[in-house]
Amino acid sequence: MKNRLRVLRAEREWSQADLAQRLEVSRQSVNAIETGKFDPSLPLAFKLARLFETTIEAIFTDEN
Amino acid sequence: MICSIKNPAERRYVIRMWISAALCVLFSLVAALVFRLSHPHGVLAYLVAVLPALPIMGALVYTGVYLAEEKDEFQRNLLVQSLLGGTGGILAVITAWSYMEDFARAPHMGLVWVYPLFWVFAGISYGVVRWRYR
Repeated sequence: MKNRLRVLRAEREWSQADLAQRLEVSRQSVNAIETGKFDPSLPLAFKLARLFETTIEAIFTDEN
Repeated sequence: MICSIKNPAERRYVIRMWISAALCVLFSLVAALVFRLSHPHGVLAYLVAVLPALPIMGALVYTGVYLAEEKDEFQRNLLVQSLLGGTGGILAVITAWSYMEDFARAPHMGLVWVYPLFWVFAGISYGVVRWRYR
């Protein structure tokens, strides 16, 4: 699943480690989600949306 | 080493696994000593012989506890995939070896090797899974 995490992170000048700390996950998790290799669960997607003050649809794009 | 682990669930898991490993060694020595000195038989022999397996069962339970305690779903996913790899690997080896024993008279492989080999395959699997998500 494609996502805008890298852009949203860059806008706030957060590193992957910064975002990981805010989400209470590992940096590897952020990297896997950001590169589209791992799709987060719905609760984690909501957490991301709340953190970036936007909607899940504005972060993630269904490739289909 | 343990102090450097920041994730509390992972730290607890590592500590529990080390305790299980230490108890396994201790109980193996106790069982060997008891059999050498007093030659137990019947139910007592079974009870003493099963002692080293108890911490191993505990380690498997602790792995399940870690999966329940770990909040990071990606890390949980890595471990689950590794455990599936370990299970598949050991099942494949045991099945192939048992046929080799039956038909080709290969040397007998003791069941005691199942548990350590499971973790060998799980470890290899973990490396492969981590590499895929690099």
